[in-house]
Amino acid sequence: MTPPSTSKALGIGLAGIAVTAAGLLVSGAHVVATAWLVGIGFWTAIAIGMLMLILIHHIFDASWSVVLRRQFEHGVAAFPWLLLLFLPLIAVSFLGAKDTIWPWMNPAHQVNAVHTVRTDILYEKKSDFLNLPFFVIASLGFFALWIWISSRLRKASFSQDQDGDVKWTRMNGRTAGFGIPIVALTLTFAAIYWYKSLEYHWFSTMYGVWYFSDCMRGALSCGVLIQLWLYARGDLKGILKTDHLWAIGQLMLTFTVFWAYISFSQYFLIWNANVPEETFWYNIREYKDWWYVSLFLVFGNFLLPFLLLLSYRFKVTHRIIRRIAYFVLTVVFVDITYNILPALKDPTGHPLPFFSLNLLWAATSVIGIGGISIWAYLRDLPTTKLIPIRDPRIGECLNHDE
Amino acid sequence: MPESTYGLIATFETPGDLYHAAELVRDAGYRRWDCISPFPIHGLDKAMGIGRSRVPRISLCGGITGFCTGMSMIWFMDKFDYPITVGGKPLFSPLFAFPVSYELTILFTAFATIGGMFVLNGLPMHYHPVLNYEHIRRGTDDQFFLVIEKTDPRFNAANTRALLEKAGGKQIVEIEN
Repeated sequence: MTPPSTSKALGIGLAGIAVTAAGLLVSGAHVVATAWLVGIGFWTAIAIGMLMLILIHHIFDASWSVVLRRQFEHGVAAFPWLLLLFLPLIAVSFLGAKDTIWPWMNPAHQVNAVHTVRTDILYEKKSDFLNLPFFVIASLGFFALWIWISSRLRKASFSQDQDGDVKWTRMNGRTAGFGIPIVALTLTFAAIYWYKSLEYHWFSTMYGVWYFSDCMRGALSCGVLIQLWLYARGDLKGILKTDHLWAIGQLMLTFTVFWAYISFSQYFLIWNANVPEETFWYNIREYKDWWYVSLFLVFGNFLLPFLLLLSYRFKVTHRIIRRIAYFVLTVVFVDITYNILPALKDPTGHPLPFFSLNLLWAATSVIGIGGISIWAYLRDLPTTKLIPIRDPRIGECLNHDE
Repeated sequence: MPESTYGLIATFETPGDLYHAAELVRDAGYRRWDCISPFPIHGLDKAMGIGRSRVPRISLCGGITGFCTGMSMIWFMDKFDYPITVGGKPLFSPLFAFPVSYELTILFTAFATIGGMFVLNGLPMHYHPVLNYEHIRRGTDDQFFLVIEKTDPRFNAANTRALLEKAGGKQIVEIEN
């Protein structure tokens, strides 16, 4: 295997970060930092999804996904870099009035005509959870746990390449046993802290599961793209069968339906109960062009991928499933944007439009953080065998038949 | 060969033998034939030249029917048959019709899948001529059979027997209809 060129990804990443930083001069810290959160949210979702898929692979002692798992093990190498890129968001929370991104960090932040955060009963009741020290410790703790669990999985899997000892598979089984609840809880609380608390009056018990569904959809789409890329390079010739693609495609279909189920349930319960504390969140997302973004999520994020992924031929034809994967990544980006960017308000309290410079900074953040994440993956890729050749289930994986 | 003959049956000792025999019979262009095995053999469908099942298309029709049934049922009942305003909501909205439509989509898809599978497989089938073969029970235990029907356009008593012999089949016998 010829090592891929890593410098291009690094260059694109640094360029994206530089353009986003230049945005500070144009749109100011509040807008650009919130847009940066979109980029963090998007790529952290993919890394968490990859971590979850490795853990799920081990908890089920699965066989078909052994080859795919190795690529995810390289993918989670991005976590330390994501932590590094998350640090600026913590830094701005200590600067100035502290409410550059999250309004509840500034007690003097004006909530409405009468109240500030300090005198807001809805903040007081949540202040044991929503306070700056807790936020910083928790955010660093989430990354620490993700890095710790992924390094355990990586170490065991890569060591097995050397000695073929089955104890590494058993160790990963145990890691999966305690790792799944840990990752499930940390991704839920991360979603609550980072995205939901942007509008801290609002609450939804679906929110963590919503983020989980985006994690899985992003990671599966990246898994498809990585496998097709390695196949096109010739590395996975004779290894990647249509049955593997069919299996991944089915999971993509599953999580398309799962995303729709979660998103619909969240909307439906709030719509049905019709309580102002909850409905305002959707009301601002139906304001002006956000209405069309909402509709795009219904039809583009669910209906279109759902119908396309029903087809067996579409799931196994490289050219078609590659396009579907790119499309799903795009809609996951729109979904995360939809959850974060309406927190940017104009002076009258309405959300700033979707099509604006804010979207551009979100896109450059995704490119910047993506370049670094892909660079982290690419530089990790040649350090191990292409497939886990001594995994006890590698034979079953190579002979996988639907 | 008597009129009452169903076809020729050959015995194989291993799944591998059956698999390669199936490839030979497939390549010889036979259409009406089958393999009998105590357990599923991976890849045998490809060795037999069988394409993908058509059941999913029937499932899709069932799903669409179920969704439309749920939506139109609630639309008719809430808007015309028994209109009541609840919680200030409109008389009909696809939102509250959705959970029911979704459940009916699943229900009708399941019905269509099971029904489609039965119809395409010709089930229920209480009688099959291969049951006349005296050793057929070994096919649920430790032996593998390949049956070629007489109604196959390429069937020819001598040539078909020669093909099965070439494929490694043992005890090639005719079975009664």
